[in-house]
Amino acid sequence: MKRRDWWVIGCYAVVAVFLAWVLVPILTVVLNSVKSPPDIFSATPRLAFTPTGDNFAKVLGELRFQDYLVNSTLVALGSTALSIAVGVPAAYALARLPIRGREWWAWLILFTRMVPAVALVVPMFVIFQSVSLLGTYAALVAAHTTFNLPIVIWMMRSFFEELPPDLEEAAQVDGTGRFGAFLRVALPLTTPALAATGVLCLLFSWNEFLFALVLSGRDTQTVPIGVASFIGTVSVDWGGSSAAAVLAMVPVFVLGLAAQRFLVRGLTFGAVKG
Amino acid sequence: MASRTRRRTGRGLGHAMLGPALLLLLALIIVPLVYSAGLSAYSWKLTDIDLPKQFAGLANYTRLLGDPTVRTAVLNTIVYVVAAVGCELVLGFVIAAALFEMTKGRRLANALILLPMIIAPVITALLWRYLLDPQFGLVAQVMGVFGAPSGIGWFGDQHLALPALIVVDIWQWTPFVILILHAGMLSIGQEQFEAASMDGASRLVVLRRIMLPAIVPQIMIVLLFRTMDTYRIFDTVFVLTKGGPGLATETIGLYTYRTGFSYFDMGYAMALSIFILVTVVLVSSVYIRLLRRREVLR
Repeated sequence: MKRRDWWVIGCYAVVAVFLAWVLVPILTVVLNSVKSPPDIFSATPRLAFTPTGDNFAKVLGELRFQDYLVNSTLVALGSTALSIAVGVPAAYALARLPIRGREWWAWLILFTRMVPAVALVVPMFVIFQSVSLLGTYAALVAAHTTFNLPIVIWMMRSFFEELPPDLEEAAQVDGTGRFGAFLRVALPLTTPALAATGVLCLLFSWNEFLFALVLSGRDTQTVPIGVASFIGTVSVDWGGSSAAAVLAMVPVFVLGLAAQRFLVRGLTFGAVKG
Repeated sequence: MASRTRRRTGRGLGHAMLGPALLLLLALIIVPLVYSAGLSAYSWKLTDIDLPKQFAGLANYTRLLGDPTVRTAVLNTIVYVVAAVGCELVLGFVIAAALFEMTKGRRLANALILLPMIIAPVITALLWRYLLDPQFGLVAQVMGVFGAPSGIGWFGDQHLALPALIVVDIWQWTPFVILILHAGMLSIGQEQFEAASMDGASRLVVLRRIMLPAIVPQIMIVLLFRTMDTYRIFDTVFVLTKGGPGLATETIGLYTYRTGFSYFDMGYAMALSIFILVTVVLVSSVYIRLLRRREVLR
């Protein structure tokens, strides 16, 4: 074989090894979730075992993990809806409309991406406590909007700017006005991008831990809090906590793969088009 | 005249569309930050709720500057950032370059590679907690098969806890680096590779002379986002070590959390949170200025 062929084979091998490193931890937990304790707590890794549904039955039965799933879904949907409703018009305004101090506003929104959650969670705790919102869904939706809204504005702005302006100008000549051009031309053209942005917001909210840890109450705890509490108190129950982790990961994988093309853009605040 | 009216309505519409978002950001981000900055000038513990807040001036900040825990936390964070981001960049570059050579299965490989970075950090922590369990973790089991001594409690060991956390970070975030660097490599013009192959350059030379220089902007973006996000790391450390053993894995975010919600020392916690904010913004601004100079960011 030629040297070039060896090079390519080497590249495939490198990727294969890396994929193994990525997948083994995930597969281990997936396997643990369908193993009974003797198969988990063995001296050597066991691949031949009889799968069991006990762990899932327990997690969705006496441990009521579905409550966490419902809470996470409500908070994620609420924060995503709010961020999109408020953020998409703002993104269009920043991309297309004459605004005084446009660059300054854009910079302010970039600044909000830098604000660490831990700097917000301390004052938020005190503020929400004083207005009796601590432990409510509203508090969590508000907290998650602090990272989702800037993402929506920044991403949608980059998508609106990529549209050819002629279409919107033509619509304005037809008499629909600038808002009509936004509603009837720009928005339909960016629907796939909007869907991907929404998916990213759901993902970020679903995974968020610190705000949920501090601001949620007993009845509003989200999935990461549920999983973390498993690690703390029932740490001997590897099967149960693994089943909970699997339940938490499945929606993430579906959402993440759906938004795959835009994931990097969302994570880098539009800096990388990907 | 007509065009002037048009312009004014455009501007009015622009403000009406931007306004709600700005108000929301103001209420949710700026107000809490200002509130935090204001209350950081008070000595105020939630434990004695009846006591009035006492004005303390800059006392919380002078305490912060002399606080050995803050110094340890910042040093830990620097070690963590440099080691984790350094490894992620090297590993990410190698894998991205290898992916670049693949003609079959690249889409599938890409989809699988991104899994760690979309998993919640809490779940990542759970995966590694079990993998590195001294008795029944996969690592201990495999080491046992080869007769190596088992029972290494990675996260409970003074010297191994921080490296173990760095390994977890590398697992979770190298995919992010790969995807960004790979995107940069894909945007290199084909003619550059053709010219190189006409000169008979080897693949390694192409890698060093063409691909590496071409993705410098992407490398800088990786540095910006990984530094910014690693500095404020909380979730995995909270779940895996809670900053211990001792202060071996203490981070500034964790210390702020504990000051506020375990010791209920709110005035000091707010000073710490302002300290995090200011340092993150300062470091990010330096990066962003560099990126703007190279026209990577607007």
